[in-house]
Amino acid sequence: MTRELLDRIVLGGFIVLAVLLYLSTASYPGIAQKTSALYVRFLAVSFGGLSAVQLLFSLRKPSGSGEPLDLFGRASRFFGLMVGLIIFAVLFESLGFFIPAAVFIPLIAVMLGYRNPAVIALSTGGVLLAVYLIFVQLLSVNLPGPNLF
Amino acid sequence: MEYLAVVFAPHSLLSIIIGTIAGVVIGAMPGLTATMAVGLLVPFTYTMDPVLGLMLLGGIYSGAMYGGSIPAILLNTPGTPAAVATAIEGYPMSRQGRGRLALKISVIASFVGGMFSVLILLMFAPFLAKQALHFGPAETFLLALMGLAGIVSIADEETSLLKALLAGVLGMIIAIVGTDSMSGSLRYTMGSIELIDGIDFMPALIGLFSMIQMLEIAGQRESMQIDASVLKQAQKSEPMPKGIWKYMALGSGTGTVVGILPGEGATIAAFLSYNFSKRLSKTKAMFGKGAPEGIAAAESGNNGCVGGSLVPTLTLGIPGNSVAAALMGAFIIHGMIPGPDLFAVHADKTYPFIYSLFIANIVFLITGISVAPYLARIALIPPAIMVPVISAFAILGSYSLKQSVFDVYLMIGFAFFGLFLKKLGYSLEALILGLILGPIAEHGFSQGMIIGKGSPWIFFASPIAKVMWVIIILLLLPPLIAHGKRMLRGAARVDR
Repeated sequence: MTRELLDRIVLGGFIVLAVLLYLSTASYPGIAQKTSALYVRFLAVSFGGLSAVQLLFSLRKPSGSGEPLDLFGRASRFFGLMVGLIIFAVLFESLGFFIPAAVFIPLIAVMLGYRNPAVIALSTGGVLLAVYLIFVQLLSVNLPGPNLF
Repeated sequence: MEYLAVVFAPHSLLSIIIGTIAGVVIGAMPGLTATMAVGLLVPFTYTMDPVLGLMLLGGIYSGAMYGGSIPAILLNTPGTPAAVATAIEGYPMSRQGRGRLALKISVIASFVGGMFSVLILLMFAPFLAKQALHFGPAETFLLALMGLAGIVSIADEETSLLKALLAGVLGMIIAIVGTDSMSGSLRYTMGSIELIDGIDFMPALIGLFSMIQMLEIAGQRESMQIDASVLKQAQKSEPMPKGIWKYMALGSGTGTVVGILPGEGATIAAFLSYNFSKRLSKTKAMFGKGAPEGIAAAESGNNGCVGGSLVPTLTLGIPGNSVAAALMGAFIIHGMIPGPDLFAVHADKTYPFIYSLFIANIVFLITGISVAPYLARIALIPPAIMVPVISAFAILGSYSLKQSVFDVYLMIGFAFFGLFLKKLGYSLEALILGLILGPIAEHGFSQGMIIGKGSPWIFFASPIAKVMWVIIILLLLPPLIAHGKRMLRGAARVDR
């Protein structure tokens, strides 16, 4: 998909969002009709108007080279990190910070092409120790612990 | 005097020193910015004493602004975007064996710019805050609009004017999710309990400024090659060039003024100061080949932004730039709402914080003079190690503030969709500004409408409101005219 096309789709989506936002204000109760609803309408009109003008400019512009948009770069690494983050977040509540982090850091480092096990181990250990000493001991940040048992 | 005693207490000094050195180190790492560092660490200061937490973050801000210049000079790899102008002159100087002089000028200029801007902050902030006491809801709404008008100045070649405004309004729309303060009813929460209090801007900030950088680095097609040969090259010791102070003064003034303007960041301050110095210099031909004047102006310019950006942040609650927005988050989580109250009710915390910025400048001056060449090696840390470590901190930071995993998902969501918008040319700074200013604008608007009995004339009634409208128009007009001219030129080219 070209950048131009994607841009137009997003702008179209923005216009739809603005219309929906405007229509939604009809259901605002009582006093909100004269206050918050007006504000939200102001935002909806501004958003929709600006999107429409930008879309108009985009349509009037002569078609570009049709170059596809490089959104993610090396997609495998990009999505690898995204998936890693989501799994980390999912495990965060049940396993706490330290166990998922001890797996996440080396795995992502390897996925990104780093192959020195000593440096990976030292970095992981160093980060976990620093988090424990600074955030848990010194700053008393309440991190969830493993609650599986 | 009692505020000074707070600053010079051992634990305060320790906070400032740790923060500043950490800031220098973070600033020296390419890809990591002051916004990222401050945004990432704000949640961790939640459990700290507010003064100590703010001092730590202030130190990081000051230190990171300077730290970016070290790899810029020695490795031609700016640690932060604000150090790009420094690299243009600093690296050629290092290649000529004058790296020590470049580093010396950089740290002294950063110190001068930083000290000057904090002095201005100290002199003008209480005065401005006093004026803000006269603000009613209508003026508060206009104040938020004024902050948003600053968005237009964010627009550049990459982010068009309309897209910057669109991103700002999108931020304001995201900010309306949650409970309507007027009626108490829920809006756009989709039945989620987590959204009842609305979308907090801290996960957004961490996602948009910290995590997004990690996603970008992870997806890079080619890894950045850093030429470290200069580190092995002998660098001679030289005295400061004559007349260099003039350029430092120029950069300090420019940086402070640019910092005060909402939406303008250190990168713009550094480039503006650099360009001014180029125009003023008698040796224009040397620019690009290693002109010390360029480093002096750029570095004093970006550090001048530190104090400048905090003037509107602390007095009016309008962040001067994205780092100031992150710092504003730190004030808010400690129950200190930026505005006049900071200088009256919370004076015992605000003034020590401002004084601590002077100390932070001294700390990075000493650090820079003594260990700068060694710090350049930080830039050589492999991104494959940096990415997972920062990502883990981003998760920890998003979670810590409200102990909510939902905030972690929000952070990841903001990073993903933020990257999408960034690639399409939308300004993420504008998005964050909209997210922060949205609730302020809505509150002012709604209250103003109640006081005005439904008439919008309330927003034009008072003399302060009229002045504010003039400022808003002055902020909007020049970029709009410039944008219009660009569009006309483009259209003429197409016709031909």
